[in-house]
Amino acid sequence: MEEFEAFLDDGGMVEPVDAMPDVYRNAVFRFIELHANSEYMGGLCERDWLHRAPGLGRKLGQLAKTQDEIGHAHLLYMVAADLGVKSREQMLDDLFAGRTRFHNVFHYATPTWGDQVGIAFLVDAAALASQQAVFKDCSYGPYKRILRRVIAEEGFHMRQGEEMLLCLAEGTRQQHDLFQEALGRWWLPALQLFGPPSKPDDVLLRWHIKSERNEVLRDRYVQKFAPMLTSYGFDLPDPVARFCAETGRWELDDIDWAPLLATFENKGPDSARRVATASGAWHETAWARQALDAAAAPEAA
Amino acid sequence: VTGNGTATGVDLGAVRAAVASVCDPEYPGLTIDDLGILEHVGVGEDGVVAIGLVPTMLGCPALAVIEADVAAAARAAGAEDVEVTFLARPAWTPDRIRPGARAVLAGEFTVAVRGRDGGVICPVCGSRDVEDRSEFGATLCRSLAWCAACRNPVEVVRRGRR
Repeated sequence: MEEFEAFLDDGGMVEPVDAMPDVYRNAVFRFIELHANSEYMGGLCERDWLHRAPGLGRKLGQLAKTQDEIGHAHLLYMVAADLGVKSREQMLDDLFAGRTRFHNVFHYATPTWGDQVGIAFLVDAAALASQQAVFKDCSYGPYKRILRRVIAEEGFHMRQGEEMLLCLAEGTRQQHDLFQEALGRWWLPALQLFGPPSKPDDVLLRWHIKSERNEVLRDRYVQKFAPMLTSYGFDLPDPVARFCAETGRWELDDIDWAPLLATFENKGPDSARRVATASGAWHETAWARQALDAAAAPEAA
Repeated sequence: VTGNGTATGVDLGAVRAAVASVCDPEYPGLTIDDLGILEHVGVGEDGVVAIGLVPTMLGCPALAVIEADVAAAARAAGAEDVEVTFLARPAWTPDRIRPGARAVLAGEFTVAVRGRDGGVICPVCGSRDVEDRSEFGATLCRSLAWCAACRNPVEVVRRGRR
């Protein structure tokens, strides 16, 4: 194990065909499974708005994002299944039965278009920041390669999100209020997407699966987004970030971690509906997979 | 829509260079020229700069962003009136991707380009033992495959059926 850790510390990359300690294999697997589940649930969350997005351009944008997220999930499930811990079917069964997790931000409802803009602007930016930090020093080869493309595509989503936000920020009073209300619902989940403060001995950091501590990423996010949102004329909700003239930095109030811990148990505000929707989408399309399998199978004599 | 633009005060060479350096929104570092999306840049006697682009797919969701970036680049290079058109002909094919850009797609993005014979070479290990898995990947212009040799997923730039 010491030898393996020294190899990782030297910037060594692990490939699927290489031998690796079981504890490392399991840790990489769990991390990629969580990411795959989150892309899948995120794609379904985008799908909810396909027919409700305002205007054809926005509908096409939703369509592209849905395709992106489901495509990313597909890639990630392939790499996760290849690690040999669970098959893709087992991962989906576990997701639908609530035995495994997906990111906190997909445990909330999106009642208005303002929520979609909140996701596109605030949540996607937080997701991009954590993915960039994983990519920077990721020791598992296939995952790092997928992340390279995911980051490029999320960067494109960010541009769309910024444009969507500006449209509301510079729009009518009603549009401005629409985002202000959504900000009240999404600021905390976006900050918590980075996770609780990292443990001192976090193996994900030790094995170069992650490269930065959760609280460091969150602070960098606050330094960037608190001034941006206030410059657009929005009020920051709880936990409020205040500019401190002495340090020249934005200081964040204490975070209430109870909402995040609830999502870990799949007991967030919209968890039950989201899991049921995902499960329904999968099981209602079983006939299509059966038909495709039958068409691909050699003809029975 | 030809000429070097000297009569109209537009430096066509500078506009062309600026437009050719616009990056694709989903492949940072690769330009629309590298990917064969840029078809022509010209200027009419009325001084209008006309830019013709060949979309990789008509349903590409990045078209509006590319159009805005191209127009902005042309204006920054001194063009006042700019007309960006997406052309239906010629159709884009993966053969329009420049060889240098193929190497970047493979090395940087793990994206392969399907050969004219339909075959795929794994951008990670060079094996030809690549199995198709899904007609579409994360974008409309790519399908999804799996390299049985190095066990990496491979996204493949689709080649339209004829």
